[in-house]
Amino acid sequence: MAFLEIDGLKKRFGSVEILKGIDVDLEKGGFLVLVGPSGCGKSTLLNTIAGLETITEGEIRVDGRTINDLHPSKRDIAMVFQSYALYPNMTVAGNIAFGMEMRGVPAAERQKAIDKVAKVLQIGHLLQRKPSQLSGGQRQRVAMGRALVRDPKLFLFDEPLSNLDAKLRVDMRIEIKRLHATTGTTIVYVTHDQIEAMTLATKIAVMRDGEVQQFGTPAEIYNNPTNIFVADFMGSPAMNLVPATIGGNGGGLSVVLQRDGREPISLPLAKPPAGLSAFQGKPVIFGVRPEALTDPEGAERNASNIATADCHIEVIEPAGSDTFAVTNLGGKAVVARLRADAKIQPGTMTPLAFNLTKAVFFDPATENRIL
Amino acid sequence: MSTVAETSMTLTPEHDSRPSASVRSRLQDALPKIVLAPSFAATIVFVYGFILWTIYLSFTNSKTFPSYAITGPRAYQRLWRWTFESDPPSSWYTSITNMGIFGFLYIFICLALGLFLAILLDQKIRGEGMLRPIYLYPMALSFIVTGVAWKWFLDPGLGLEQTLHQWGWTSFHFDWIKNKDFVIYTVVIAGVWQASGFIMAMFLAGLRGIDGEIMKAAQIDGATTFQLYRRIVIPLLRPVFLSAFIVLAHLAIKSYDLVVALTSGGPGGSAWLPSNFMYEYTFKRNEMAVGSASAVIMLMTITAIIVPYLYSELREKPR
Amino acid sequence: MSVVTTTARQDTGGTNTKTLNRIVIYGLLALFALFYLMPLFVMLVTSFKTMDEIQNGNMLSLPRAPTFEPWLKAWGETCVGLTCAGIKGYFWNSIKMVVPAVLISTLLGALNGYVLTKWRFRGHTLVFGLMLFACFIPFQSVLLPMATILGSLGRFGVTLQNATGLTFGLGNPTVNLVFVHVVYGLGFTTLFFRNYYEAFPTELIKAAQVDGASFFQIFRRIMLPNSMPIFVVTVIYQFTNIWNDFLFASAYAGTGDSMPMTVALNNVVNTSTGVVEYNVNMAAAMIAALPTLLVYVLAGRYFVRGLMAGAVKG
Repeated sequence: MAFLEIDGLKKRFGSVEILKGIDVDLEKGGFLVLVGPSGCGKSTLLNTIAGLETITEGEIRVDGRTINDLHPSKRDIAMVFQSYALYPNMTVAGNIAFGMEMRGVPAAERQKAIDKVAKVLQIGHLLQRKPSQLSGGQRQRVAMGRALVRDPKLFLFDEPLSNLDAKLRVDMRIEIKRLHATTGTTIVYVTHDQIEAMTLATKIAVMRDGEVQQFGTPAEIYNNPTNIFVADFMGSPAMNLVPATIGGNGGGLSVVLQRDGREPISLPLAKPPAGLSAFQGKPVIFGVRPEALTDPEGAERNASNIATADCHIEVIEPAGSDTFAVTNLGGKAVVARLRADAKIQPGTMTPLAFNLTKAVFFDPATENRIL
Repeated sequence: MSTVAETSMTLTPEHDSRPSASVRSRLQDALPKIVLAPSFAATIVFVYGFILWTIYLSFTNSKTFPSYAITGPRAYQRLWRWTFESDPPSSWYTSITNMGIFGFLYIFICLALGLFLAILLDQKIRGEGMLRPIYLYPMALSFIVTGVAWKWFLDPGLGLEQTLHQWGWTSFHFDWIKNKDFVIYTVVIAGVWQASGFIMAMFLAGLRGIDGEIMKAAQIDGATTFQLYRRIVIPLLRPVFLSAFIVLAHLAIKSYDLVVALTSGGPGGSAWLPSNFMYEYTFKRNEMAVGSASAVIMLMTITAIIVPYLYSELREKPR
Repeated sequence: MSVVTTTARQDTGGTNTKTLNRIVIYGLLALFALFYLMPLFVMLVTSFKTMDEIQNGNMLSLPRAPTFEPWLKAWGETCVGLTCAGIKGYFWNSIKMVVPAVLISTLLGALNGYVLTKWRFRGHTLVFGLMLFACFIPFQSVLLPMATILGSLGRFGVTLQNATGLTFGLGNPTVNLVFVHVVYGLGFTTLFFRNYYEAFPTELIKAAQVDGASFFQIFRRIMLPNSMPIFVVTVIYQFTNIWNDFLFASAYAGTGDSMPMTVALNNVVNTSTGVVEYNVNMAAAMIAALPTLLVYVLAGRYFVRGLMAGAVKG
């Protein structure tokens, strides 16, 4: 039995269904990231776990106990908010201790707990300051301290890094990961940033329009997206999704990509997914990540299915660590990721290697993956 | 009373409470509504209930004491007849004509003067911090005090006229406050004196809130100072105009104290506004039904101005 | 906006026109300052003059021999109606009315604003709209029913007194006025606090809920300590409005010993018996104006903000 279980959770405001039956679970000590574009319902889902919003249908269990109707304070959870939600009229110490104060914990015990948390987060020197005197990163730490001090069963994070600048965000991301590793707490984390999701999670739930599109480990989500939405949303730069047709190639199948004014490219598939044969002669969406489309020298040597084709390079973007090349296939801009020192010129025909082991196919009608 | 309380409860259905919740937690859920209920109930009873009561009274023939037998719209018929009785003018005719004169001049002059002063003050004035409170302090005074001060100042035998006579301008004549045809204009003067500084503050806040980059862009486009204000700034102040108009309009219709203190009603009631008419007819002339009817007409005038405004204000911010 | 003026001055070209412009602007501003100060000035100097000097002297001249006599007389001796004990009693009447009315209406407004922003329910906009509209009604439209109700309560108070020896404040004009001002001030105080709490981060309330704070604990520990600015604004606004009220005061406490300051002042000034003592009248008017002027001088910034908050809806 999982530690956190959410079964058939629905939330309606009047006639509008915000959450349309969510089923998610998480093992003890796991790190679940709810990710999706704004308005997908991820924050609402987190709020229902916290008890800050009621649910219309379904059940939420933590450690085998149903918590649907419990007051937030009775759920044994702690929450870190996007704006940190530090009480401006109280000192850092007062903020951290407020929850204990509300539960009637004696002052001496509170002080001990504050000191312990301050040590873990290295905020001892800030304890007597007011939130307005802290930097963004310090506030973030205090907010985490307020959550940590409760020693809850479940930590909830609501986009905790979105108010920090880019560099600090990376630092704090590592900090959160370290905290998770050392304390072994169970965490549910909401973000719209797929990099945060990939780097932090042990489990990811990709959400859209109040539904979970895919639920799995980061590797599963990244390598085996169940539909076009997940494929497009996860990964940066995003997966190339190219309209293509499936052709017969003797006994095997091939994927045929249109090019402007030139004859189409046909790439033979060594191990096509079983469902693809039904699409012979029909349109599909061909998905290939930029790192699976590269210069022939840079291609993964031991991949079993690499096909090379000449492509017209329109733009190149040297990004320091890599060079991105943009070509046009099937009427769409397609990004290839080359080594930084790849010899390539815009406006030329250049051979690119397609790593077809990593390629995925989608049914254009249902947008689901062809397996 | 009990029906009113029920109304407030149906307006606030307990959609949060779940059947499985305990009595105590259901009480917790209802607590916010319980806290709000007394205020809301008071508003419903003492504002809306009383308005209905006043409307009811206006259809009776209540005199000194309220009578609760409906006798039809007689009070309104009388007011309607008086509306056209201009020679000699009926009290009602005087009141509504005065309301027209006072309302128009008061609002127009306050807006114009307020905007003018705000623009002047916005020209990087040294001592702005000293001038602003001088323009604004009358708003802190009671209308009664304002009335007393201006009554003295405008008195022909004591105030401005006498002072100028002493200074040698003996032909100067200014007795509006004793003249039944002009007394209402003295109410305008005192009213403008009291409120225009506040309108200035509103406009000044509006001016300070205008995006500096828009101004820079207009200057680069070659606009002169005058064009800048006429074509860019004043149109951008539209919301302030609206707010200021609403404030002034409802102050104008509510004006009562000023007339009493400044003119004691003026010679033969010639400075009355509808608010004074209402008070006099209700409490002094024992014509409660007529007084109520005039109150209803005042209320309807304000409603016609305020309700569309409030509706748009509250609706524009859907959540 | 400051940009405008810098370049505006460049636009006007020559230094001469520039200087002329400044002179005209400052001249106009000074002229208007005179217009606004004049009545107060006249009131002030007159209140320190003897009657003799008023009748024979110039309104604008400073008192030749400043005397406090009119102030003392206004405070302790002048006649209000038939009672000649000065206005001091009425001044205290106003204080006794203003303090509770301001405190109660402000506290209720804070609670209402808290509920209307942080504990919303279906129909909250309608509730707020109805309370807000109440700010704008001409009070003439509720004057009569309120008089009737207060009259009945007064009679009930007499009955109570006969039965129990206590009136519980029923029928007491000061209590009546406190009640009336609380009821008709609620719209404003609720508006102020609602607009302020609207911008108050809701996540703080959520955090406090997770921390286990109850409805009132959140209000007391989180909302109130962070509401100081709007408290000052609301208190000043209510204080000014209630102190300056004349309509309710004259309708519900217009006679006798319990009338508030404004009504007493009007009676002093409009008394038709004997010689009109202008210096005493002016001193009485100054005394009536002092509390609000004092508030204005001490907390002008908040005063303006309060007026604006009342004017510009949120």
